[in-house]
Amino acid sequence: MKIYLNSLKLYFKSQLEYKKSFITGLLSQILIMFTYYFIIIALFDKFDNIKGYTKYEVLLCFAIIQFGFSITETFARGIDVFENLIIRGEFDRLLLRPKNILLQVLSSDYDLIKISRVIQAIIILIISLIKLNIKFNIYKIITISLILISSITIFFSIFLLMASYCFITVQGLEVKNLFTDGGKQIAQYPISIYNKHFIFIFTFLIPYAFVNYYPLLYLLGKSNNKIYVLSPLIVFIYLIPSILSFKWGIKKYTSVGS
Amino acid sequence: MKKYLSIFKIKLMNNLQYRVAALAGISTQLFFGLVFIMVYLAFYQSGNNNNLPMNWKELVSYLWLNQIFFSLIFIWQKDRELLNMIKDGNISYELCRPIDFYKKWYATMYGERLSALLLRFLPVTIIALNLPSPLKLYPPISIMSFILFIISMIISSLLVTSIALLIHIIAMFPLDEKGIMAFIMVIGDLFSGSTVPLSFFPNFLKNIAYILPFRYIVDVPFRIYSGNISTNSAINPLLLGVVWLIIIVIFGYILSLKAIKKAIIQGG
Amino acid sequence: MSFINVNHISKTFKVAKRERGLLASLKSFFKREYIYIDAVKDISFEIKKGEIVGYIGPNGAGKSTTIKILSGILTPDSGNCKIGGMTPWLEREKYVSNIGVVFGQRSQLWWDIPAIDTFDLLKDIYNLSDKEYEETKNNLIKLLDIEEIVKIPVRQLSLGQRMRCEIAASLLHKPSILFLDEPTIGLDAVSKKIVREFIQKINKEQKTTVILTTHDMSDIEALAKRIILIGKGRILYDGNIHSLKQKFGNIKNINVDTKDTIKKINKKGIITQKKIDEGYLFQIDTNILSISNFLKYLSEITNLEDVDIENESIDDLIIKLYKEFSI
Repeated sequence: MKIYLNSLKLYFKSQLEYKKSFITGLLSQILIMFTYYFIIIALFDKFDNIKGYTKYEVLLCFAIIQFGFSITETFARGIDVFENLIIRGEFDRLLLRPKNILLQVLSSDYDLIKISRVIQAIIILIISLIKLNIKFNIYKIITISLILISSITIFFSIFLLMASYCFITVQGLEVKNLFTDGGKQIAQYPISIYNKHFIFIFTFLIPYAFVNYYPLLYLLGKSNNKIYVLSPLIVFIYLIPSILSFKWGIKKYTSVGS
Repeated sequence: MKKYLSIFKIKLMNNLQYRVAALAGISTQLFFGLVFIMVYLAFYQSGNNNNLPMNWKELVSYLWLNQIFFSLIFIWQKDRELLNMIKDGNISYELCRPIDFYKKWYATMYGERLSALLLRFLPVTIIALNLPSPLKLYPPISIMSFILFIISMIISSLLVTSIALLIHIIAMFPLDEKGIMAFIMVIGDLFSGSTVPLSFFPNFLKNIAYILPFRYIVDVPFRIYSGNISTNSAINPLLLGVVWLIIIVIFGYILSLKAIKKAIIQGG
Repeated sequence: MSFINVNHISKTFKVAKRERGLLASLKSFFKREYIYIDAVKDISFEIKKGEIVGYIGPNGAGKSTTIKILSGILTPDSGNCKIGGMTPWLEREKYVSNIGVVFGQRSQLWWDIPAIDTFDLLKDIYNLSDKEYEETKNNLIKLLDIEEIVKIPVRQLSLGQRMRCEIAASLLHKPSILFLDEPTIGLDAVSKKIVREFIQKINKEQKTTVILTTHDMSDIEALAKRIILIGKGRILYDGNIHSLKQKFGNIKNINVDTKDTIKKINKKGIITQKKIDEGYLFQIDTNILSISNFLKYLSEITNLEDVDIENESIDDLIIKLYKEFSI
């Protein structure tokens, strides 16, 4: 952990060498994010609900997913652009060091510019919660906290799974987008608006439903079943295959080479 | 002309090497197409939707075409080689060759976009045409609108290349290109109609979009296809698209001469 | 038992076949053919503690594959290898604390910040105590003369300055083996000299075992008594650099200054005869024609002003070796 934090410090120091570019980067990220939120606001200008969900309910869902995704993009960029380590041969260097590989990969890169997305997501989250007039009690506070943590966890797991893919080939990395961006795209709306095949996939194969559907039912007062409070915990199971496949990937890398 | 054709051939051959990439691109486009359509479908099915700017057939065709032509029409594509040319000093090589800088890069970018399209669009089109009813891509409304659609796509592809190249040339000036580039590209893709169809924009933004050149890349051709813009009223926007194309090419060309001059003064 | 024991190591890679032309590209888009390449085949050698070994061979001979196997990055298909009692690829995390690796063409330093910051990070990575870290660091900085250089952002350093920092970074944890992969590539004469002298010094003082790959034969001449020559994945020669010279260094260049004209001499052992500015350049094979016999003959037919005898350079020698093994 110390290595991760010290590397983050070094990364920040590097960024300060390019202050101007860092700031324009931040601004353009804000603009990009704005277009995302713009889509929803524009559509709700023409429609008043989507399968019973109102504008602020959708925005809340959207902000939750953006929050988890952006945190992962910012602080786990090492696994997001893992192919760079492989292509440039820098992964060899990590193998030469007596420390946990995953920790070293995480310490290899960051993307602090994306922090602007995190902040934007938090702002939209707060606005939506206020507009929705949610009466907070201890259960709802636990629910929203677990939702946010599971949102990070699910994207971390997916990114890690995709990093493992790079051990097989660094070709066709667009397929990564299917799972990362594509998953994000889907989960921005409550899962229940989709057709039933999609719902099945995103409940059981990639458990987005446990981030932005079941717990939201309780949070938004659509259900009083307290079991939904703890439903985000399911997402943590998803970490297991991700970590195992990454371990498998390292083993494959050292036997096949680059 | 021959040298531009061989640039195109090289790009195509290069892209053929990446078959996994093509496969991944196809599945990505199918997937995103379906997701977007389902979101809009959910909106359309949620009732209370009179006076919508597009009927469902028109919208679903628009969304599929947006995916099918994705690699051709999306402004957001960066060419690292060109961007880093001044920084790396590779521009000196570039200027030693008996080929015009602007034309060479226009051909390269056009080739890149077209070859990416050629490798992907057929499977996506065939699958989209054969999906079950509310999700499927409908055929063009008439032969005439199909012909106009083809013409508008040619204008669109030439225009998007000229815009992308212009952005790259602008970005060659300052050394920190990232910010400004992302900025114009996001604005461009938003106002072309590839993020949300322009018809769904609030009025004041729609008015802005109609003044800018970007709508001739996405909004105009896709609406001609589905008949949302009738064949009679299609001529005007097509002409305007050509006018924009000429303006941007001339502007880009002049700017490229300036960029080269600056590079020479700086010593490459 | 030696410090490094490599026994019958082999490794094969699968590579996609690429052909020229649009049609071939189109074909391989749908059906791809593969070829198998023996990167290294049945390689064995031993290295004693404190040795400096030059590991040479043309591009694609299997040098970096061997280095990767020895440093634990790659698992061989067959064969085994013990280094200081450990098998590199089986006990990777424990093993790598004992080795340092410098890749001449890659960097381990953070690009935009001074090297000293990277050093501090490496201290954590190798779990070094404050005391030993400070001691080693200061010593390395002194030996490599990089006191001021380590405070400048790496991207502003010259290649030679950066390489010195790279080497320091690889030695902070006092490894007992140092792998140097083309450490002098692209360096100017002064930097090369500093790097070589430094390598000699730590080898002598700390008994660090050094395995060096390079294309620069003057590196080898300056540093390594022993070379291992590899080609097409096999070891072709393993031994003393002097006996190599004796074995293959039978070609001498003899520069003869004279104002006379010498007709083409037909004598066994003379390989070439060339007119140059001041006289003639002969290349003779001393196994057939001894130098004294040659000069004796020459002085009989002409008036010699000056004679200069050169050994064949080691570069030529290596080229000849490559030719001989047809690699």
